[in-house]
Amino acid sequence: MNNELEHNFVALLEEHQNIVHKVCRLYTNHREAHNDLFQEITIQLWKAYPKFRGDAKFSTWMYRVGLNTAITLYRKSKRTINTYELETYQFKLSAEEYDDTEEQQLKLLYDAVHQLNDIEKALVFLYLEDKDYREISVTLGISEVNARVKMNRIKNKLRTILNP
Amino acid sequence: MDELELLKKHWKKEDTQYPHVSANAIYKMILKKSSSIVKWVLIISLLEFGLWTSLALFFKGSKSTQNFDKLDSDYLLIPLSVLGYIILAYFFYLFYRNYRRISATDSAKVLMENILRTRKTVKNYVLFNLLFMVASFAAVLYIEFDQDQALINKAHRAAANGEAFMFYAKIILLVAGIIAIFAGVLLLFYWLIYGLLLRKLNKNYKELKKLELLE
Repeated sequence: MNNELEHNFVALLEEHQNIVHKVCRLYTNHREAHNDLFQEITIQLWKAYPKFRGDAKFSTWMYRVGLNTAITLYRKSKRTINTYELETYQFKLSAEEYDDTEEQQLKLLYDAVHQLNDIEKALVFLYLEDKDYREISVTLGISEVNARVKMNRIKNKLRTILNP
Repeated sequence: MDELELLKKHWKKEDTQYPHVSANAIYKMILKKSSSIVKWVLIISLLEFGLWTSLALFFKGSKSTQNFDKLDSDYLLIPLSVLGYIILAYFFYLFYRNYRRISATDSAKVLMENILRTRKTVKNYVLFNLLFMVASFAAVLYIEFDQDQALINKAHRAAANGEAFMFYAKIILLVAGIIAIFAGVLLLFYWLIYGLLLRKLNKNYKELKKLELLE
């Protein structure tokens, strides 16, 4: 029974692991921290899995646990973060797809997003994942109107960071 | 073009760029221990419950109370310690209930509130203990002055010499000093442990609360 549960969970997570990667992408800024957060989210997902009823989509359920871990539960277990030269993400963009200016622009954008606070990052994450304001409001526990207002403010904030 | 729209466009294409974590690696990960703040809140809270309970047992069994034990104090101290244990059980029940409620599948706000509530139960328990300590001191002093002949004689002598004020002031200062040291150590402990442990949570909770004022 337990083995079957474990097996199902691992299969589902392997399939949907990009959601976890993407949470880590916004909340960490180097590889080591990324892996550390990935691991903690995996543990939290596994701990919560027996209560997963399947009435929600697995991915939707993952958004919650992933964001809750990043925002609230996670404690950095390594102290190397921010002290050594960061091995920043190097996402290889194929040359045909992006020109230099776009790549440059993206880097600036990610840097700007990393300057947002944890709650703002959560809104950005759900927005990037194409979630509507209803789902954003339910995931964070705020009202839909507030989610909308906050999202507009975040866009303005990003604009200010990018064009000081 | 909207900055976020550009990011969104790229965001979807990024899927293939993450390192793939194999099923085998996931199996290994779920065997590992969590390092979440909830675990630490639980450990520290249990230590606090344990500390106060053992402190009470220690005072009860120590030699300094042997002299006191000869006095007729049961009528006051037994109800007081029974009350203490009942209240401990009550707080522990509250703590356990709140702790069980913490779930990573709640909304961010509810999760934060449940963790903070669990914390608050322990904080109230410690506050209760400080008050209980003051009450116990008062009870002990009352019994001493009521029954301990040596102390009564001392008080009389002091009164005869016109030093009654000094005599009582010393006792009150001593008791207040002990309580102040306890409270000081506790505050330091809190400041260190919870300040560091819950700093992020408090900050994010405030940020969410601020959102409620947006409308």
